[in-house]
Amino acid sequence: MDLSPREPGVGAAPPVRSSTARRRWVSIGILAAVIVAGGVVVTQFLSSAIDYYCNVDEVGERDGCEADRRLRVQGTVEQGSIKQAAGTTTFLISFNAKNLDVRYDGDPGGIFQECIPVVAHGRLVNDVFLSDRIEVKHSNTYVAKNEDRMDEAEAAADACSRVG
Amino acid sequence: MSNAQTSVPPPTRTATTRNLGLIAILGSVVLALLGLFFTAEDVVQGSSVRIMYVHVPTAWVAYLAFVFTAVCSAGYLRGKKHSLNLDRLAGASAEVGVIFMGLTLVTGSLWGRLSWGTYWDWDPRLTTTVFLFVTYVGYLAVRGLGGTQQQRAKRSAIVALFAVIEIPLVHFSVLLWRSLHQEATVLRPNGDVRMDGLMLFSLVFGVAVFTVIFAWLVLHRNRVLALVDAVEMRGIDAALAARHAEGVPT
Repeated sequence: MDLSPREPGVGAAPPVRSSTARRRWVSIGILAAVIVAGGVVVTQFLSSAIDYYCNVDEVGERDGCEADRRLRVQGTVEQGSIKQAAGTTTFLISFNAKNLDVRYDGDPGGIFQECIPVVAHGRLVNDVFLSDRIEVKHSNTYVAKNEDRMDEAEAAADACSRVG
Repeated sequence: MSNAQTSVPPPTRTATTRNLGLIAILGSVVLALLGLFFTAEDVVQGSSVRIMYVHVPTAWVAYLAFVFTAVCSAGYLRGKKHSLNLDRLAGASAEVGVIFMGLTLVTGSLWGRLSWGTYWDWDPRLTTTVFLFVTYVGYLAVRGLGGTQQQRAKRSAIVALFAVIEIPLVHFSVLLWRSLHQEATVLRPNGDVRMDGLMLFSLVFGVAVFTVIFAWLVLHRNRVLALVDAVEMRGIDAALAARHAEGVPT
């Protein structure tokens, strides 16, 4: 039975089908966009997310962490290693007793500090990792600041033990 | 063509829904006070940690919504009557879940900018979360593909049962792969909660408040969806009546 909508003035049925059809086409459009977006996300997952970073001790050792390619290297910022001069920040990151010198053009900002794990994006040139992006990994431990009535040195030591 | 299952549901202006709404509003105010004023800054993250009191509850509600969608969908498929009310509850819950998942991504992105130093990166947790979000946008699109209400219910129920499998993948992505995102703080396998007292209370309180908001929104959205279905059936009934009046054989 044909239940397609009437022309105005011909029948009494409300225009249910036309709005339903419009909704269907919108849904088909969204579904097509979802499939494309899903493809992009899966591609990013397989190419980037599944192996997000190499640890310092894996650079040049592990498959996918070859020293001659662009890398994301994870390690903990060594205490006392941060130096800032002429707009450049240099520091040492370590993991599993292996160290790596990092040079970053700029100030990493945010919560970047000693003893915190970071992921540095960049390339290894002459044993120095030239980074153009620093991401700070904060830990899953949360400590209220006002409960710590310790001096600055103790606070720093605490931060090292917590985030290292 | 029966419209027995599309009759208008009882109004949401009941004492229960009014009270839920009231609790949601009051709870949100208390949560804002706790998050912005009463809880302390974190030693490492400073004030940016306050985003957590919204970010984590929105993620929790999104998970809850998608699981509820799956439970209702399973109930629809298993039930002998194939209740359209269960289907509408599933749809309402998924809509609310998508909104909260979107809020999770936005608040997470803002938090990421403050703590990681970037709004976005394709790390395992972020990538699987956005995939979950895209999947449920797709689920909502599937619901709008047309056909009868029973056809809509059946196909979307099947999609919901597959989609919910992604949730453990998202939750455990930080353990399965190397992630920029931190591991769980509260729901840890060894039960060791790594958060100070009032911060933890505020977080749990936030989860409770957002759960009430979720329930309130689903109740109202379910009624709207029932009204939409009822209008659709009424239109079809009217069209049928018009054809009958014209003497067209059925």
